[in-house]
Order: sequence, then C-alpha cells, then structure tokens
Amino acid sequence: MSLINAHGITKVYRLGRVDVPALRGVDVQVEQGEYVAITGPSGSGKSTLMHILGCLDSPSDGEYHLDGADISALRGRALARIRNQKVGFVFQTFNLMPRMTIDENVALPLQYRGGFSRRERLKRARALLERLGLGDRIGHRPDELSGGERQRVAVARSLVGEPAMLLVDEPTGNLDSKAGAEVLRTFREVHNAGNTIVMVTHDMHVAAEAQRSIHIADGKIAA
Amino acid sequence: MSFLEALLVGLAEARRHLGQTLLSLLGLILGTASIVTVLALFGGQTKQTQQFVAEVGGAGTVIVRDREQSQQLSATELASDRMTYEDAEYLKDNATTLSAVAPGWAPTMRYQAGDRDFPGQVIGTTPDYAIINDIRPMVGRYISDLDVRRRARVLVLGWKFADSLFGHPEAALGKLVRLDGKAFTVVGVLEREVFQFAVWSGNALEYRNERAYIPITTAFALYMGTETRIAFLTLRAATPTGARAATEQVGSMLFLRHGVEDFDITPSGAGANDDAQFFLLFNFIFLVVGVISLIAGGVVIANILIASVVERVREFGTRMALGATGMQIFAQVLAQVVVIAVLGGLAGLGLGAALTGTVAILMRMPAAVTVEIATVAIATSLSVGIVAGLYPAFRAARLSPVEALRYG
Ligand SMILES: Nc1ncnc2c1ncn2[C@@H]1O[C@H](COP(=O)(O)OP(=O)(O)O)[C@@H](O)[C@H]1O
Ligand SMILES: [Mg+2]
Repeated sequence: MSLINAHGITKVYRLGRVDVPALRGVDVQVEQGEYVAITGPSGSGKSTLMHILGCLDSPSDGEYHLDGADISALRGRALARIRNQKVGFVFQTFNLMPRMTIDENVALPLQYRGGFSRRERLKRARALLERLGLGDRIGHRPDELSGGERQRVAVARSLVGEPAMLLVDEPTGNLDSKAGAEVLRTFREVHNAGNTIVMVTHDMHVAAEAQRSIHIADGKIAA
Repeated sequence: MSFLEALLVGLAEARRHLGQTLLSLLGLILGTASIVTVLALFGGQTKQTQQFVAEVGGAGTVIVRDREQSQQLSATELASDRMTYEDAEYLKDNATTLSAVAPGWAPTMRYQAGDRDFPGQVIGTTPDYAIINDIRPMVGRYISDLDVRRRARVLVLGWKFADSLFGHPEAALGKLVRLDGKAFTVVGVLEREVFQFAVWSGNALEYRNERAYIPITTAFALYMGTETRIAFLTLRAATPTGARAATEQVGSMLFLRHGVEDFDITPSGAGANDDAQFFLLFNFIFLVVGVISLIAGGVVIANILIASVVERVREFGTRMALGATGMQIFAQVLAQVVVIAVLGGLAGLGLGAALTGTVAILMRMPAAVTVEIATVAIATSLSVGIVAGLYPAFRAARLSPVEALRYG
C-alpha cells in the first residue's frame, strides 16, 4: 500500500455566505521513499492540499490514508499525534523559535512526543545537526545563522522524530539562489538516505529536483 | 512538553525581560504588598488587643452591669431591688463557676486634701477586686477583708490622684483625704497603669490611675444608709476558659433573684480599644487598595498575555504542526503566567514586608509577616495570575493550526 493514499479530496472554505472551493476532488498517491513535487500557480490549492496531507486540517470530503491509517475522521488531539509521529514540516519562513538555541529547536518535536529525557532529545538533535553540517552552530540562536543555515536547521527539526514523510512548502522562497541550492542539496541527501519528501513549489527549477511532479490548477490535478 | 519544562521556559522569558516583566506586574506587586501589610498589621492589632485584655484581668474576667431601665417600668422591673451587695455575697457563696467576686459601687465624689480639691470617681469594693483586675500597690496595700468587716475608713489611691493630691505618690501614704467631706486614711497607692494602642493615642488605662478604692461596707455605712445597691460586679471565672460557663450560671442566678433581666453580662476588655475603629478603617483602606490593585494587575496581565498570544500566533501554529496538542499550548501559556505571577507575588511579599516593618516601627506595633501571611500572599497572586491567564491560554489553545500558520 502507498504511503499517501488520498481519494476525492475536497476542501471548501466558507467565507461568510460564500463557499470558496480550494480543492475539488484531488487524488494523490505517494510511495514510500519517493520525492514528489506539487506545483501550480498561486491560489491553485497547493498549500491547502499540503495542510490536509500533513494532518493540519481535515478535508471537507474524500478519503485519506497515511501510512495505512485512516486520517479523514480524525480531529484535534488525534491529528496532533499523527503530525508528531508521521509528518515532518518544513516551511517557507523557517518558523524556528527565536529564543531557543538551534539544538533546542530541533529537539522540540521529541518534547511533544514525550518519553525522551531532555538529555536524550538534545543528543539526537545535535547528532542530526552534525549530520547536516551544522555542528559548529550548535548552541547558537537562529538569528545568528544565515537563511540557508536556518532552513537546514528546520530540515533537521523535521527529521528528528523519524517521520514517515517530510512535507515541505516553498523551501527556497525566502532564500537567495546560492542558499536555495544549498538547501535543495540537503533535501537530495535526505531523500537519498531513504526519506519520503513531498514538496510544494511554484518554481519549475525547484520542482525539477523531485522524481515527479503533481500539477494542480484551480483545485484539481491538471494532467 | 511537561509543565515543569514550560515553567522553565517561562522563567527564562521573564528573566530576559526583567524590567518589562516587573512593570507589567506592578498591579500584582502593589496588591500583594497591600494584602501582606494589612494581614500583618491586623495580626499585630489582634495581639495588642489580647495583651490589653490580659492587662485588664485576663480572658476569664466577666463584668455584670445594671441594665438601662426602660421609660415605663413593668411590675417585675419595679419589684426588683436591682443589683445589690447581697447579690455579690450570694454569688461568692453559691456560684461554682467563679473563683472571685467583687461588687462595685462607683459614684463621683469630691476629693479634698490640703488645698487640692477636685471631683473624681470612687470605687467601693472588696479585696477580690484587686485579684480580678490585676491591680498591684506601688506602696502600702490594697483593701483587706478586715477593712471590709470593720467598715474601716481607709482609702487606696490610684497613681494619678495620689500625684495630684500630694505632689508625689509615695508622699500620700498615711495622709488624710476627704471624700464628700468624710475623712479617710490613705493605706496604699497603686502602680501606674499604662497601655497604648498606638503612638498617637493616649493611655487606654488612665481611668484606672484616676480613682480611689474604699471598702464597700464603709461606703454604704457613710453615704447610703440602709441601701446596698451596686453599679457593677466583676467576676473571675474558676478557669481561664470558663468565662462562658460563668456567664450562664451568673445570668440564671441573678435572674432568679431579680425576677427580671435588669443586668448585662460582658467579658472584660471587650470594646476597650478606642482606636479599633480607626484601625478597622485603616485595614479596610489597605484591603480595598490591595483588592483593586490585584484586579487591575490581573487585567493588565490578561491584556499583556493576549497581546503576546496574538504576537506569537505563528509560533503556536508551528508548535501545533510539530505535534503540540491544544492542552500543551494551554499549559505553556499558563506556565508562563504562573512564573510571572509567582515572581510578582514574591516581589509584593518583599515590598509588603518592608511596608509592615516601617509601619511597625513608626506605630510601635508588634506587626510581623508570618509564614501563613507569606503563603496567603503567594497563593493570592498565583490565583490572580491563573485567573488572568485562563482566557489567553484558552485562546492560544483554540487556534486552528492552519490559520495560525497562514496568517501568523
Ligand atoms: N482559510 C481560508 N479561507 C478562505 N479561503 C481560503 C482559505 N485558505 C485558502 N483559501 C483559498 O483557497 C484557495 C487555495 O489557496 P492555497 O491553498 O493557499 O493556494 P496556494 O498555496 O496554491 O497558493 C485560494 O483561493 C485561497 O484564497
Ligand atoms: Mg501557498
């Protein structure tokens, strides 16, 4: 069975009395270990799809199985648990906690999982930072790092809980081309190590990094 | 994330913005300080009142007074002899709950000695009066049983009157004093009695220095003819805690003898503190200031927290994406407010202790901040903080992760 198995996903936002359909029946399948790009113009529904695939939101209709578990019916606490165990997010704006050191940032998902001592959490976080070439930055705060380094810290954070997949939203959108290339290289390494990556982007060069692209237009899969 | 960890994060936050934290906690600090001060001062006042009661004879002392008579007297009221010396004798012989009984006859009379001449109170009584009221002679002696039996024309002077009549208390001994024209020999002068409730208030026991005591039998014989009515009875309960039982027994005995309740029984020292009203007002003002400060402080904290939650919407969205549940977000915000509330409570406690110390020195009061008061202070500010933090924490916990990430 596929890692991601989504059928007929629709999402309707309600704005006052007007219904805004953001997704109108989307099917997505992603296999374990794949590197997939979701592309499309702005407003086409990419982020909405990513939020549903990442269990941050529930679809209005449709079926979604992630790693064998039926997600469509889950809400609140149960979704939070799935997010923590199965999904690693990387955002366009990095979203690191500014007042924590980068090792504390990377350790955060383990804190929410529970069952790890602080020592153990930080040990794992530091090992990951070393692996991603950020060993000399351990103990620093995010604002002491360059944009590319910050995004790689975010990648380390997404990996620390050993999730089933990484969900990445415009990872290079806030970076210059050099830093962007550096981050994309990191994703390639992460993928080569066996991780599944689903990456939302409107940038064709970025999408070219992935093994295949799913193109969305106006809330539907376009070819 | 455990609550303890959230607490540590909150503490680090508070330390990083110490000045800002203190400023936002001003209301809480002032409120807690006021509460601490009012409790400490109230404790001091209570202690003082207890000291005063002990000074005027102790907790086991009871006073019976003639009740004010109504305008139209009923038949039973007319039939009653009111309180008499015989009532006192009867109680002394029959009331098992009492260890001492002293009748009091208390008119105002004219004092004369040499060229001194003034009006003042005279108490006709028995030796028990000195035991019950903890009165000690400075020189000479108090009235004796023999004086009472012999209707001796002897007089024991309060310190102030001895001073007024003879210029200096020791000189009074053995001298003659006329009371409404009848001569008495001074056999004793009492110690000066002093008790101050506050620096600015007068001697609450001065009335005891401004009187003289004579044997009650002498008083009746010289001034009353055959009548033996008395103004009051002072009683000492057999045990220090026996005042209640004594009150009941004496009440029913006197009622049986009089046929009507034409007397009032009160514990000694009650309402003796004239400054109590002032202190009550003082306490009340402090309490009101404290409560208002706490409420204002709570509102300020709630507002700052809401602003901080709004400011950190994206942070909460991110934490939720990483797997934080609503409960964990709730706990995080609450831990933050718990930390600052405890800090505010401690600061308020320190300020309150300083304030109490200052007031205690200025007013010479035995006020002190006890462990109980400190506990109440911290608990109060903690409660205010938690109440103020509930809504902001709830708001943060209820955020939708998607909206928080999209619009944060
Ligand atoms: N919370 C929301 N309320 C109403 N409309 C929304 C909301 N979120 C997204 N939309 C709408 O849904 C559509 C898809 O948005 P989005 O998924 O963000 O697209 P993309 O990420 O491809 O730019 C857009 O028309 C957007 O305006
Ligand atoms: Mg988008």
